[in-house]
Amino acid sequence: MSVTALPPTAVADAPKAQAAGRSPRTRPRLRPTTVLWNVFAVVLGIVWLFPVYWMVNSSMLSPSTLEAATPTFVPFGGSFANFAAVIDGRFWSALGVSVTVTLIAVFCCLLFAFLASIAISRFRFRGRKSFILAVLLIQMLPAEGLFIAQYKMMSELGLLSNVIGLSILYTAAVVPFTVWMLRGFVAGVPAELEEAAMVDGLSRTQAFMRITLPLLAPGLVAAGVFAFLQCWNEFTVALVIMSADNQTLPLWLRGFVQASQTRAIDWGQVMAASTIVAIPVIIFFLIVQGRMTSGLVSGAVKG
Amino acid sequence: MATATTTPSRRSQAPRDDGTRKRSFVPYALLLPAVIILLFGMGYPVIWQFYISFHKYGALQQLGGKPPEFVWFDNFVAVATNPEFWAVAIRSVLFCVITAAVTVAVGILLALLMKKVSAAARLVLQISLLLAWAMPVVAAMTVWIWLFDRRRGVVNYLLDKIPGVDMNQYNWIGGAPIVFFAVASIIVVWMSVPFVAFSVYAGLTQVSDEVIEATELDGAGGGQRLRYIYLPMLRPVIAIVLLLNLIWDLRVFAQITMLQDAGPQSTEYDLLGTYIYKLGVGGLNFGQGAAMSIFVLALTIALSWFYVRSLLKEDEA
Amino acid sequence: MNKKLGALALLGASAIVLAGCSGGGTPASTDGATAGFDPAAAKDQNITLWLMGGDTPDALRDYLKTEYKAATGGTLTIEEQSWGDALTKLTAQLPDSKNTPDVTEIGNTWSPTFTTAGAFADLSGIYKDLGGSDLLDSFVKVGEVDGKQYALPYYFGSRYITYRKDIWDKAGLSVPKTLDEFNADVAKLKTPEQSGFYIGGQDWRNGISWVFANGGDLAKKDGDKWVSTLSDEKTVEGLEQFQTLFKDASNAPVTENDSTPWVNINNDKSGAAPTAATIIAPGWAHWSIGDFKEEKKKDDGTTTEVREWNDATFGVFPLPGNDGKPAPVFAGGSNIAISAKSTKQAGAKELLRIMFSGEYQDMLGKNGLGPANTKHVDSLGDDIFAKALIDSALNSKLTPAAPGWAAVEGQKILEEFFGKVAAGGDIASLAKEYDTKINAIING
Repeated sequence: MSVTALPPTAVADAPKAQAAGRSPRTRPRLRPTTVLWNVFAVVLGIVWLFPVYWMVNSSMLSPSTLEAATPTFVPFGGSFANFAAVIDGRFWSALGVSVTVTLIAVFCCLLFAFLASIAISRFRFRGRKSFILAVLLIQMLPAEGLFIAQYKMMSELGLLSNVIGLSILYTAAVVPFTVWMLRGFVAGVPAELEEAAMVDGLSRTQAFMRITLPLLAPGLVAAGVFAFLQCWNEFTVALVIMSADNQTLPLWLRGFVQASQTRAIDWGQVMAASTIVAIPVIIFFLIVQGRMTSGLVSGAVKG
Repeated sequence: MATATTTPSRRSQAPRDDGTRKRSFVPYALLLPAVIILLFGMGYPVIWQFYISFHKYGALQQLGGKPPEFVWFDNFVAVATNPEFWAVAIRSVLFCVITAAVTVAVGILLALLMKKVSAAARLVLQISLLLAWAMPVVAAMTVWIWLFDRRRGVVNYLLDKIPGVDMNQYNWIGGAPIVFFAVASIIVVWMSVPFVAFSVYAGLTQVSDEVIEATELDGAGGGQRLRYIYLPMLRPVIAIVLLLNLIWDLRVFAQITMLQDAGPQSTEYDLLGTYIYKLGVGGLNFGQGAAMSIFVLALTIALSWFYVRSLLKEDEA
Repeated sequence: MNKKLGALALLGASAIVLAGCSGGGTPASTDGATAGFDPAAAKDQNITLWLMGGDTPDALRDYLKTEYKAATGGTLTIEEQSWGDALTKLTAQLPDSKNTPDVTEIGNTWSPTFTTAGAFADLSGIYKDLGGSDLLDSFVKVGEVDGKQYALPYYFGSRYITYRKDIWDKAGLSVPKTLDEFNADVAKLKTPEQSGFYIGGQDWRNGISWVFANGGDLAKKDGDKWVSTLSDEKTVEGLEQFQTLFKDASNAPVTENDSTPWVNINNDKSGAAPTAATIIAPGWAHWSIGDFKEEKKKDDGTTTEVREWNDATFGVFPLPGNDGKPAPVFAGGSNIAISAKSTKQAGAKELLRIMFSGEYQDMLGKNGLGPANTKHVDSLGDDIFAKALIDSALNSKLTPAAPGWAAVEGQKILEEFFGKVAAGGDIASLAKEYDTKINAIING
């Protein structure tokens, strides 16, 4: 049973549906069952969010409260002491390193992957299939054993404990998946649109800039968000490449969780540090959230 | 998805004749930056891995500069005849299949739920999922480990409150391996569902409403709609997210390693990622670690073969 | 006290069987560095020192920095590595001459592996100047190959028993004189809420004491090669004792190691009863044991609990053996070495000179870290902790000085083995199984 295909105009319409998933045409009537489903959805959302809430909650409690046998669910009388304790010079330095590396890596990755995805989706050429296959296979190789070679390489180049060095490694690490994602997006915007514009007198490049690129924008945002997440969270490579005084945020956070021989783990501080590491990501997400979900809505994740 | 116009393939267009000379190198030029960065960042390490998998490369070589010994397939044989490796491999495959299946199933259900409810409720659900997804792995793991903590964790506290259930100080993380992996699975599912839910939801919104109304008019119920309209339409999306989750869950490392740091360190609690690290790095046997990585690569290809093949075939169309 | 010093110097003798010369591998040459000191070349050399974990207190670190500057005019940078990640970082960075730490602390259990692999520079030229035979012999031996020294002792630690006097007194028990007595006593003290003796199932570093006390060992040198001896009669006896002890006296999970033992013996802040009546812990743990006094903010902004020792509530004693001497426990502590690939050999040697100076050795002792130079053991003091430390160190042992030992630890093989033993497995078959595993990698 074939379904009528989505007319090309719908593709152009989709980015306009900015709010998360609100389709312009559906408005379910508020039947009683819908109310029940609504309640269910909200409850589910709250339950899903619980660990995030717990993190924030615990970060405001003192270690002694946290050590007690009975958990404290609401931080009455809590304070921001833990935050004050963890935010010091090392934090700011780690934040700086993480932000720099992530921004560079995401920018380069998006640029390179975008160009590559255009090449794969719009052109036929020798080696195309090999490239696609290679991109897929690279994602499948376990990364754990690679760090020795990566260390050697970075050392030869003098890029150890260096923001550039780490950015290069991160870019290389996220490009495959990003190419994969963008491929679907680019393929979803038919070339006919450009050709139609070219009939109207625009050159190919102009057509691309004015017609295709805006349609791809949500997709680029979605891919960028993925890349951002991966770079922000990475720690195995960073551990080896960066030195102790030039850490990224995940390494900084890990320091709190490692049982030291001379000091017990301070869970309050661990939670405060975790909250701090999570905040930029969450803010970033909330900002791009509209664009991103509409990006996915515009028929993005395809084969 | 085919467009309404007649041209079947979205990739069939030939570049316009802006000068036939350009045609041959434009794609290569576009591809070049990505290829360079990949060769640079990944090329040398990957080749090095393949190289040393055929050599004996341990502490003496790494620390003392002794040249690596060429040992043919010894490393591979050692891995293949190591019953522990196979135990870990089977455990990993089971873990990845179960976790990926649960993730995708829950994701689909959540996507359907999102479609069903009104805008406000949908927003709440989506924001929760977004926040869960945005939480950095290290942060999320520390919270979850804390939640399952034997002495002070919330899970034990809440479960203990249920009359008749005695969960006081139940050891989730350091107890039986199957409980350990159940906990790991729950955490991975929690982290991975948002991506699936959003992707499937995106696919769902593409099903045009006329079709749905038509089926309603025909008297089709929700279940039939699910089976005959939604699932077939969503197949490409589901295939991709399933594949990605399989690959990611087979390679899972960070979550397992952090759970192990909180307690049990023996090999029964290892999956492939941590096992390779333990043997290759902790055991200072890089040659064998590399051979193991290649095994895992082959395993992953085997698992995802269904997709890789359809991908290659599709391209020929 | 002299008797103690003499006995300590003999520590090496009792441990020599264990710590014999490790064979295999020729360490790399020191790239043209002179064998002895070279103060002229050390002038203005900036060097990096890696320390493991937080064991070396800040006061000592500052002292090293100041003294180094005074001696050479160069800057000393100290980087702290966490024990968990140290193996990875050392493996990646030691061979890289551009980024290698010039001097590094190295756990005594890893010393044999790194030394035989050739990671360290030859120190035999300055060995005598740094203390020679006054240095703790067993630690010297784990850093020695073919009679040449590559890693020297930094500090030694030891483990002893801390117990709740109040709980023991109430049960009518006094300090046991033999190991058998100890085992029986703690079994009596076990209740569902409180371990008589808290020991995790995977805690081999402490559990090994029962093996040692029965005359068993982890491995021995058979001619040229090392052989795992878990199946030896005496080792099995010790393991059986450990298994029984775990079952009868401990409530700890089978999968727990030894990271923070003191939380179990303290009353928590609200005064609730402790979860253990007895624990075994390294010497420095006593700073964290006692009555809760307050939470203090440290200079770096972190808060820490301040605990005050209370002689009426807490007490210490070395784990007794069955032969009138303290039971052999696993000697904690580290060695110190110069990276073979370091380009600042002269500066590195000057730092070692400072570290082995009398003043620094005394500082180590005053801070509860056993000084490498046995002539300075006095500085540990004579309070109950120092006594317990010295007494237990008298008979302590190290892990086998085999080339592949770091790999055994890196793969957590002993954690696994002990965990299975504690869980009640069949010791004979487990021992055979793990002997095979260890034999496959112990010779590197």
